[in-house]
Amino acid sequence: MANDGSGEMKTRTFVVTRFDPDKDQVPKTQSYQVSCRPEWKVLDALNFIKDEIDPTLSHRWSCRMAVCGSCGMNVNGAPKLTCKTSLSEYGDTVEVAPLANFPVIRDLVIEMDGFMEKFKAVKPWIIVAKEKAVDEGTNRQSPAQLAEFKQFSMCINCMLCYAACPVVAKEPDFLGPAAIALGHRYNMDSRDEGAAQRNEIFRGEGTVFSCSYANECSEVCPKNVDPAAAVNQAKLNSVIDWATSFVVKREK
Amino acid sequence: MARPSDPHAMTPRKPGSTRTAPPTVPDDFWTRPRMLTYLLFDATGIVYLLVGLVALRVAWALGSGRAAWDALMQSFASPGYLIFHAIALVSALFVGVRFFRLFPKAQPAHIGPAKPPPPAVLQAMLYVAWIGITIVLLAVLGGVWP
Repeated sequence: MANDGSGEMKTRTFVVTRFDPDKDQVPKTQSYQVSCRPEWKVLDALNFIKDEIDPTLSHRWSCRMAVCGSCGMNVNGAPKLTCKTSLSEYGDTVEVAPLANFPVIRDLVIEMDGFMEKFKAVKPWIIVAKEKAVDEGTNRQSPAQLAEFKQFSMCINCMLCYAACPVVAKEPDFLGPAAIALGHRYNMDSRDEGAAQRNEIFRGEGTVFSCSYANECSEVCPKNVDPAAAVNQAKLNSVIDWATSFVVKREK
Repeated sequence: MARPSDPHAMTPRKPGSTRTAPPTVPDDFWTRPRMLTYLLFDATGIVYLLVGLVALRVAWALGSGRAAWDALMQSFASPGYLIFHAIALVSALFVGVRFFRLFPKAQPAHIGPAKPPPPAVLQAMLYVAWIGITIVLLAVLGGVWP
């Protein structure tokens, strides 16, 4: 590969986790020497390995601009979006592994089904008692109402928060940061009428009260969603909802 | 890579058709600075447990007469107790600072029509309350007030 003159090339060793479900009992590592351009992200190096050195390497990626959330991996032990993580942050050796806390399908590709189950569990859609007829017009929302939940709607489902969360590692039933943040996002939406249903879920086993507020999810979030804030706001909201349910009668 | 404490972390309830490798966590997961800080925060619970036991001992000495009380007060001047109380003070400061840092963002956007004050104001209120209560307690226990 030729240097285009934009800076000094640097050779790095990439220690990449490999797992072939047809051959391997447990994951192993494989090292690759890659001459990296100074502006490269970790994903660029992985794509170079895949294209030029070892086409058997499997990893997920798509947009290359921190929007799709596909390329989350553990880089030197920390969960990162590899398309957003510059190689200049690292030294001569870079370890790339699949996201922690997830089963691995192949190499750097994780099993997402458990995550999707947790997502569905919080009913991440607008719930209304009675659907509006089309001729009744759209559901209006003021900028102030939008501002109450907008931050929590910016999640790209990259799952870095699950890889960072110490509770996910020890409680398999824990709904986890992104799913709870999404449920909280709908609870805060002025168009939604399903907060009581979600708060009942939140008061159950393995949900908001399993969170010990380590704050790791917010530290690693690449979109500044701050899931720890959502989870801990949901704690108080679900308790207030529980107390209110004794005073205000609700239709089942 | 080490295994998480639960090997079924993030595993779907119904297994897929492909065999998967079990989830892992990095070997040094627990020694990274942020995680270490969090673990120290959790470990302060042990200090508070011991403080509680000391408080029980104080209560017992209080009900056991003047001699027991004086002996306890004298033992508090020993190096072991001084070190323990220094650790308890550092633990309280550490937990307070961490809690006050995280407290504002845990507040809901509103409770009914009432909205919480801005984070900086909320944090300032917590510190003022903490310092105020400490001063009052010192004044009462030191016999200066009331």
